[in-house]
Amino acid sequence: MGFLAPWALAGLAAVGLPIWLHLLRKHKTTPLPFASLMFFERRTQSSIKHRRLQYLVLLALRAAVIALLAFAFARPFLQSRLAALAGGPKLTVLAIDNSFSMRAGERLARAKREAAEVASSLRTGDKLQVLAFGSQVHMMGDSAAAIQPIDATDTRSSYAELSRALRSIAQAARMPVEAHLFSDMQKSSLPANFADLRLGDSVRLVAHPVAERRAANFAVESVNAPRRVYGSGKTRVEATIAGYGTEQAKRRVSLLLNGREIDSKSVEVPAGGRAAVEFLPADLPFGLNRGEVRIDSADNLPEDDRFYFSVERAEARRVLFVHEARNQRDALYFRTALEASAESAYALDTVPVEQTANLAPQKYAFVVLSDVSSAPANFETALRGYVRAGGSLLVALGRESALRNRVPVFDESVIEPRYYARDAARFQTAAWLDTGHPSIHNAQRWDDVKFYQAVRINPGAARVAARLGDDTPLLLEKQLGEGRVLVFASTFDNISNDFPLHASFVPFIEHTANYLARQEEGPSNYLVGSFLELRQAKEQGAAVEVLDPKGARALTLDEATRAQNMPLAMAGFYDVKRPNGRHELVAVNADRHESDLDAISADTLTLWQNTAQGRQNAASGGEADVPKPMEFWWYVLIAVLALAVAESLLGNRHLTVDSEAS
Amino acid sequence: MLQRFLDPATLASISGLDLVAKTVVDGFLAGLHRSPDYGFSQEFAEYRAYTPGDDLRRVDWNVFARSERLYLKRYRGETNTQLLILLDASASMAFGSQAVNKLDYARFMAASLCYLAHAQRDAAGLIVFDEDVQNYVAPSARQGQLFRLLHAIEKAQPGTRTDFAKPFVHFLDFTRRRGLVVVISDFYERPEVIVKTVEPLRFRGNEVILFHVLDPQEIAPKFGEPVLLTDMETSSTLEVSPEYARGEYRHRIDAHIQALGDQSKGAGLDYFLMDTGRPLDEGLREYLSVRQGRM
Repeated sequence: MGFLAPWALAGLAAVGLPIWLHLLRKHKTTPLPFASLMFFERRTQSSIKHRRLQYLVLLALRAAVIALLAFAFARPFLQSRLAALAGGPKLTVLAIDNSFSMRAGERLARAKREAAEVASSLRTGDKLQVLAFGSQVHMMGDSAAAIQPIDATDTRSSYAELSRALRSIAQAARMPVEAHLFSDMQKSSLPANFADLRLGDSVRLVAHPVAERRAANFAVESVNAPRRVYGSGKTRVEATIAGYGTEQAKRRVSLLLNGREIDSKSVEVPAGGRAAVEFLPADLPFGLNRGEVRIDSADNLPEDDRFYFSVERAEARRVLFVHEARNQRDALYFRTALEASAESAYALDTVPVEQTANLAPQKYAFVVLSDVSSAPANFETALRGYVRAGGSLLVALGRESALRNRVPVFDESVIEPRYYARDAARFQTAAWLDTGHPSIHNAQRWDDVKFYQAVRINPGAARVAARLGDDTPLLLEKQLGEGRVLVFASTFDNISNDFPLHASFVPFIEHTANYLARQEEGPSNYLVGSFLELRQAKEQGAAVEVLDPKGARALTLDEATRAQNMPLAMAGFYDVKRPNGRHELVAVNADRHESDLDAISADTLTLWQNTAQGRQNAASGGEADVPKPMEFWWYVLIAVLALAVAESLLGNRHLTVDSEAS
Repeated sequence: MLQRFLDPATLASISGLDLVAKTVVDGFLAGLHRSPDYGFSQEFAEYRAYTPGDDLRRVDWNVFARSERLYLKRYRGETNTQLLILLDASASMAFGSQAVNKLDYARFMAASLCYLAHAQRDAAGLIVFDEDVQNYVAPSARQGQLFRLLHAIEKAQPGTRTDFAKPFVHFLDFTRRRGLVVVISDFYERPEVIVKTVEPLRFRGNEVILFHVLDPQEIAPKFGEPVLLTDMETSSTLEVSPEYARGEYRHRIDAHIQALGDQSKGAGLDYFLMDTGRPLDEGLREYLSVRQGRM
């Protein structure tokens, strides 16, 4: 039994009032003189005793009324399980954490064992639902048999997701829900906003921690490595080793490439801190390489002692630069800018437009059409197919291309060439830049660029990334099939503009090249639970082939041709073959938040449980079948009322005497 | 209006006993209707032949001058009545729940009777007693008798317990002439003892009036709670409940009053219950009514 308002018990002090009135104030010892006691008798003593007894009963009644009144105002309650047991059926939810951290020691096995015990203790009529949750909640089944098939995953646990699922279950079940949570209660699994943990009105949460409150753990927290290395370029791999709740220790860190140890170092990890390690592998093989940084932690969670990354050593990618034979200047400026920026990533092949009839653009990372008047029809057809299959094209428009009515492949009409040098203005500048476009990162650098000539084209459905002062679109982009076409409405020859002479030219060419060659896409490694983008447009293209770390196909045939993206569900290397023929190796690692095994405090856990228990039965879900505080203050008030009536009846006799005596 | 001056509470605020008596009697008489029986003046009533021993001051010398016969001139209200007041000054008479206690009330009563008797030229005497005779003023109609009586009444103080038997033996010695005997007491004794003690006075031709002075709290005690009572005469104590005082005690005191009244009447005694909460005129009216019977 407890009290919801214990301060009201201070009212018990008021019991002293009737005691004082009866025993102290009423007790007179001073004898009263009377003329003669001739007509009084000794036998009146019994009457006195009787009356004293009545006074004591009256005193007891009054004291009881005051005491019970104070008791009722203190709002007593009973914490009885009997009330709960007497209730109707309930839904028991067994939520088993199968996140990455549950791989530590025997946590998952213990969780499943305890869940099975709870399932075996269900009453007849109770329903069961088994959940497995990490970053997402999976319904495993409605019988105890669904517990054993639960396997550990590499995902990060999310109590917010679990709370959301429990709220939904409570709404659908229309009966009290008793949720048993079997988890290692990681503090890192709590959401940033505590309100996300709110449970349903009829949900009672019972926590079953399956791990000690704090456990030391070493992990490879992150690896920073380039996604690609071109030619004979050097590779640098930086790894961060973290200790969670650990003492200062020395760890051996190894770098493995394609399963073979390349290098190893010893590093001093401070207590509960981090240490960085750098490797410079000399002989990185050409092609896709499976990289791995590993430590010897000897802790309970060996799975986070390795960190996967992929690195590709490739030859410089070829870029086709098509130009008019008499114009060599633009190729010179473009090549210079490209070589100055991108560390041998690209090799520029300059080809006069007349020689392109038999060229196959598919072997190029992207193609540049630099102010060409007319291209062979079969080359333009090949270009169109190349772009649709995922290739990229950059079109620069100048005096020659203005002679055509349409922009090749881009398929928008040319309106007119603009010669600003002939106008009073003499030149135009880029008046508006879309800094969100990958080609344009810093608009400040374009301020001094003078444009003397430009070709105004109809933008159509294209995205305009830059405009000149007279509103002429300067940079346009259009998605075509799987590929992209970029149009620069001026040239790179330092005649139509002085752009090649400005500092902003090299970054523009570098970013544009990377964008068109899709070199910027994707980090060297992903986290489990993140999504891998498979294709850009909704247009159906060729199938994407994805093999998961176990070597199985991750996508069905239908998904391979339609899916825009796919979740990365497990740690390891995904083998991806894109529609454009590119082959990628995607390294996936478990979220290192899971490596911090520090458990949430008991206070926080109580707060979480109280988000529902404070509002039991508030909803229309009916009686909650849980041992909740049963208040009975109004029964006490009824007793007070009955005692007050009895006191009135008894006291009335004394009042009658009093009125006559007065 | 004048009746207000007979209220015991009003009288208690008057300092002198003589003034109290005068206030009571004058107020009482002025409130009466004029009646030949109750008249009180120098109004002529009759002539009576002189017999040796009569007071020569009463002889009508004008008649003797005309007829040379001695006649006495008699006036209304002039009688040979002698008033003897027996005032109980026992300890129980000091009890009072009102503005005046029983002894004060009895004093007012006695003083008023003395004043009335003096005004009618009756001889008046006083015996103050408790268990013994405290004071005695022999009956007389002489000048200054009233002040002696009033002084004796004034001096009466609550004494010890009441014992009728002992002082009443002496009363018989004091009453040589027939007259009116007024006993003012609370009569805390068995009725038969009282009547048996007082009855011999009646045998001598006296008219005896018993004024039974009781406080309202004695007749109908009202206690709000159990009380510890102390007997004022014996100092014994007893705890009394309100229920008993309201029930049993009232029956017993009523039975006592009833028995005393009945037995007094049976013995030829006049009995009158004087509630100290009521005005004095009822007692005076009783006295005059008895005195008239003796005229």
